[in-house]
Amino acid sequence: MTGLPLLPAITVEFIGSALAILLAFVALGYARALTRLQPNNFIWGFLFYFCIAMAAFSLSRGFGHMLRIVLVYSGRDLLWKQLSPFSGGFNTVLMISVAAVTIYYYKGLAAYKAIRTEAEKLADANARLASNAHQLQQLNTHLEEIVEERTRNLSDSEKKFRNLFENSKDIIYFCDINGNISHINSSGIDLLGFDASAQTINFHSLFNNKEVLETYMTELCEKGSVSDLDMQCRGRDGTTRHILLSANAIYDQNGDIVGCEGIGKDMTRLRTITEQLINHEKMASVGQMAAGVAHEINTPLGIILGYTQLMMDDYPNDSETHANLQVIERQTKACRRIVTDLLKFSRQSASVKAHLDINGIIEEVLSVTEHSLNIDRITVTRCFAPELPMVIGDIEKLHQVFINLFNNAQYAMPDGGELTISTDKAREAILVTVADSGIGIADTIKNKIFDPFFTTKDVGRGTGLGLSVTYGIIQEHGGIITVESPVVAGRKTEQMAPGTAFHIRLPAADNHQPKTREDQEYGGNSRT
Amino acid sequence: MKQISYLPTISLLLLFLFGVTESAWALQSHGEPEGLYVHQMAHLLFAATLAYLFWHTRRTPAVVSKGWKYLQIFCVLLACWNLLAFAGHEAFEHLTVTDFINKDTWREQLAAPIGPVKALYFVTKMDHFLIVPALLALVISLRTFYREACAGVRE
Repeated sequence: MTGLPLLPAITVEFIGSALAILLAFVALGYARALTRLQPNNFIWGFLFYFCIAMAAFSLSRGFGHMLRIVLVYSGRDLLWKQLSPFSGGFNTVLMISVAAVTIYYYKGLAAYKAIRTEAEKLADANARLASNAHQLQQLNTHLEEIVEERTRNLSDSEKKFRNLFENSKDIIYFCDINGNISHINSSGIDLLGFDASAQTINFHSLFNNKEVLETYMTELCEKGSVSDLDMQCRGRDGTTRHILLSANAIYDQNGDIVGCEGIGKDMTRLRTITEQLINHEKMASVGQMAAGVAHEINTPLGIILGYTQLMMDDYPNDSETHANLQVIERQTKACRRIVTDLLKFSRQSASVKAHLDINGIIEEVLSVTEHSLNIDRITVTRCFAPELPMVIGDIEKLHQVFINLFNNAQYAMPDGGELTISTDKAREAILVTVADSGIGIADTIKNKIFDPFFTTKDVGRGTGLGLSVTYGIIQEHGGIITVESPVVAGRKTEQMAPGTAFHIRLPAADNHQPKTREDQEYGGNSRT
Repeated sequence: MKQISYLPTISLLLLFLFGVTESAWALQSHGEPEGLYVHQMAHLLFAATLAYLFWHTRRTPAVVSKGWKYLQIFCVLLACWNLLAFAGHEAFEHLTVTDFINKDTWREQLAAPIGPVKALYFVTKMDHFLIVPALLALVISLRTFYREACAGVRE
């Protein structure tokens, strides 16, 4: 049996040694390139040194193997025997070197990681520092602009809310817990009649009703706010104002109430309009009822009166029966007057309309009643506007209006006084005011004075139909009658009697409307 | 603190060593097998450090890269090569001159019969089939690292 040839192994050894040297140096080249690319990277540094050791080892070993093959197989094995210990020694030393480099990889890597972490922290801190410095620089550069812009915004905002505060038609106020007002807008001062120069104004003292004030304070303390509270207070001209109040409590840092801020809306006008509407509806209903009643009663009354007068013809004038029939006739006529008044109030009576001069009508009435007024020490003052436009109306009914008003004025001034009658013209209307200096009308009955059969006179002294008839006649003429008591205008002192004024507004006749022939004949007071 | 004076101290120590000692301290001599033992130990140390590097890079890769995989292949192949070389050296120690025919010539053969030792020796003579691929893996690993680093720098 032949042996196993070693030539293939020798061939592999020779070529493999050469390849090993080549590859080791290629690896070294890449490692070197890596360290140049990133010199601070420990891993590349480690691989570089590792590759140096590997290249040295591969060179030593490969060169040794190749040299051995060349020398031994060329017959110079003695020389190889001299060199081989050096080759083996180099190989051993370089293997240990590679191993040593590898052993220190762990510690080196740990140190590198620690340094890198610290470096990253430092870099991060530096970046933050730079960013902060940049922001600080920016802030410093634009500080003036920012301050200017914020001041402008603040000023705009202040102006906006100041305008809202000052121009609001509602009352806006701020006060402390005791009610002392610290700020109030001009509408509030105007509406409530404050003296703008007053040092302190107490909001709580404005409440007419103490119970409402208690409710206000209780809700403010318990809930922290008040919503839609209906308060009444005395306004600028002494009249009662109805305020719809909403307020919020103001707290200090400890959560204690130190004051409040609120808005009050003046509801007086709305309330008056509402009451007028209600009154108007009421009067319309009452008028309907009165008309029905008057119609039903009028016919039997006419029959009673007719038969009474017939029977009176059957008895001698001095007989007792005739006298009784006269009483029946007189009382029946009184009933008929009431019925007629009711029909006038309900605007069911017939009217004869004409162009009329209102000053003339008043003069006609005064010519009859002034003497009686003077007896009661009542001075009549006329303030007639000249050249008033005509009104279209029933002269008898308008006479009735002023007779009723003058009678009421006389009743209201039992100890004498002053009756002022003024006329004026407004746009397409004529204004008549009948004002007395009498006892005035209480607020509680002001809404009832135009009701039929409502009277403050003693029984038997009045039917309570005078103002109702007046109201009905003015309504029939397309006008408005309102009452004012106490009278504000013209009052000189607080001690003066409150007085009452009736304001009548009648529509003026169209000036372009041609007058009828009768109008021209009667000079403005004529009937058409 | 009082500074120690070195010259008198060293002089006294030398005087003690040469004056008191009875026999001289000679260097230890190294026999012939010591070189082989050292070489074998170096192979084992090299294999161990490569195994350690393989384990460490596998456990805590310092950078995210495919290059680590090739480096680990390199570690495994080179560690195996070290063990193979170790075995080859051991096998050669068990062979004698009679186990070779035409020794140190191109027609050199292992004499029959080919037992396990001779077979092992023959296989270990082919150790370049391990070391060359190992170094190739190292080259590929470093080239991968390099390309990724270049890409990172460009970004």
